[in-house]
Amino acid sequence: MTESKFKYTPEIPEVFRCRVPLPQTIQAFVTNGILRESIHPGEGISISASKGERGFNYLVNDECHLSENVQIISFRDSSNTDDLTFTNNLVFGNNTESNILLCTHTLTLDSFKTDEDIKIKVGSGARVNIVVMQNEHNNSEHTVNFDLNIESDAFIRINVVTLHGAMLINDFNVKLAGKGSVCELNGVYLVDGKQTIKTNVQMNHLVPGCVSRQLFKGILDDESRATFTGRIIVAKDAQKTEAYQANHNLLISPSAKAYAQPQLEIYADDVKCSHGATSGRLDENALFYMRSRGIGRQEAKLLQQLAFVYDVLENINNEQLRLRLSDLVESRLRGEFGHCTNCSMNCC
Amino acid sequence: MLEIKGLHASINGKEILKGIDISVNAGEVHAIMGPNGSGKSTLSAVLAGRDTFEVTQGEITFRGSNLLELSPEDRARNGIFLGFQYPVEIPGVTNVNFMKTAINEQRKFRNLPPISAAEFLKLMREKMAVVEMDSSFSSRGVNVGFSGGEKKRNEIFQLAMLEPVLSILDETDSGLDIDALRVVAAGVNKLKRPDNAFIVITHYQRLLDYIIPDVVHVLYDGKIIKRAGKELALEVEERGYDWLINA
Repeated sequence: MTESKFKYTPEIPEVFRCRVPLPQTIQAFVTNGILRESIHPGEGISISASKGERGFNYLVNDECHLSENVQIISFRDSSNTDDLTFTNNLVFGNNTESNILLCTHTLTLDSFKTDEDIKIKVGSGARVNIVVMQNEHNNSEHTVNFDLNIESDAFIRINVVTLHGAMLINDFNVKLAGKGSVCELNGVYLVDGKQTIKTNVQMNHLVPGCVSRQLFKGILDDESRATFTGRIIVAKDAQKTEAYQANHNLLISPSAKAYAQPQLEIYADDVKCSHGATSGRLDENALFYMRSRGIGRQEAKLLQQLAFVYDVLENINNEQLRLRLSDLVESRLRGEFGHCTNCSMNCC
Repeated sequence: MLEIKGLHASINGKEILKGIDISVNAGEVHAIMGPNGSGKSTLSAVLAGRDTFEVTQGEITFRGSNLLELSPEDRARNGIFLGFQYPVEIPGVTNVNFMKTAINEQRKFRNLPPISAAEFLKLMREKMAVVEMDSSFSSRGVNVGFSGGEKKRNEIFQLAMLEPVLSILDETDSGLDIDALRVVAAGVNKLKRPDNAFIVITHYQRLLDYIIPDVVHVLYDGKIIKRAGKELALEVEERGYDWLINA
């Protein structure tokens, strides 16, 4: 870690007063993959730099709970425009409870390429909620490889809200490794212009009695592209598996394209599995209904788009956070997305 | 208030309305009756501005201006309300949000500031009482999971909220049991004023026991074949439409 790289970051918390976090939120800052400083948000909980130069380790010791929310703000800026690859480790010990908001931004218009691994270990009986907010510039290409290993009776829910970015790829490789574990993956993505979002999920049910639910919804405008490749693999022994997957896209423009590839590989014989994928347009009947009440066409379209992603955002269990993210989604759809209020950074 | 003159309308080149003349004055209730496929719903859709229908001839004047030039939202903002035969479900948009947006869009059109939260809540409570609607409906998605009767109540509730000048109720009575019918009709009667008007489209005379029309029009094959006072509704109930069609 060189001096020059570190110099810029101490100013960040001053200027980065984003409106997404909640009042009791502990913030950590990561610039170009480098953690600004180690944090101990609570007893047995630490966020520290990885042994390598970049990446962080988030460690929650067994039986530790944190009532506060932790927000990790990770951004790229012009102090380093190299292609970056780094790994973050999130280790949630047995019977722990954690709520994390993970935000990724770019602060400048440079052509960033970031390849980030996020390795998540969820110990037995742990409960983990992670909200990922992605908001990057039009020149940013960011791949996030989520690698999850979930032990028995653990629960993890990841809600991804993708607001902006040139090429964002979210890969999930999930191993339901312990009996009775539950994994929920939800995503909302909003793309327009020439943006592309790719979501790849590999959901591995390795043992009996696990549940997985996936719900990804996107709104595509202009010439944007979205792909969803989701595979559910149920191992031979993984009886009593419940695995659900849905991907729905709303195409606002005739030049937008959505590709969905849902796949099921089931080797067990006593399972409940489903998958569904749709692409649709705005509902003209609903638009007319709203207009007949005096709601202008643009506003009616907006309401319908908000309604479309509503059930995904509903999965964010923290109400205040859900409302704030819904506001961001709304201002994004309204095209008023200059920057978040209260923040002097021009992220997009 | 409303003048329809020589109105012809078609869908995909097929003519549905074949020359309609109707004149509605403030304070009046008009009933439009007719068998299935006579063009009743088309007429209401054309009035509300549904663009799937093409007006090929004729004119519609509403309070002195050409209605056909206005978008559906501008018609609503000028005081036209259509109560849908099949109210549309909009999952994810709550009734509260829907009504608040509608009211504020209409207020914006009249150069009024957005309604205050307190004022809006008061208005909601007041108008829900008009149709005996449970307050839990307000936080539910628009018409989502509503029974047929609840959907129609919701239409009258919206009517009460928006206080239109001309309300067109398209088969509001269809799918209603007698209690719901009474509630809906009572709601309409409460909202009736000397300065507004109603066009009630219905199959059956039943609704007209509760909402007494000033004029009854019988529509058949895209034309008004008979026009008379409220007694016409009773006659239709008794004798059906054949005697009019074959006349």
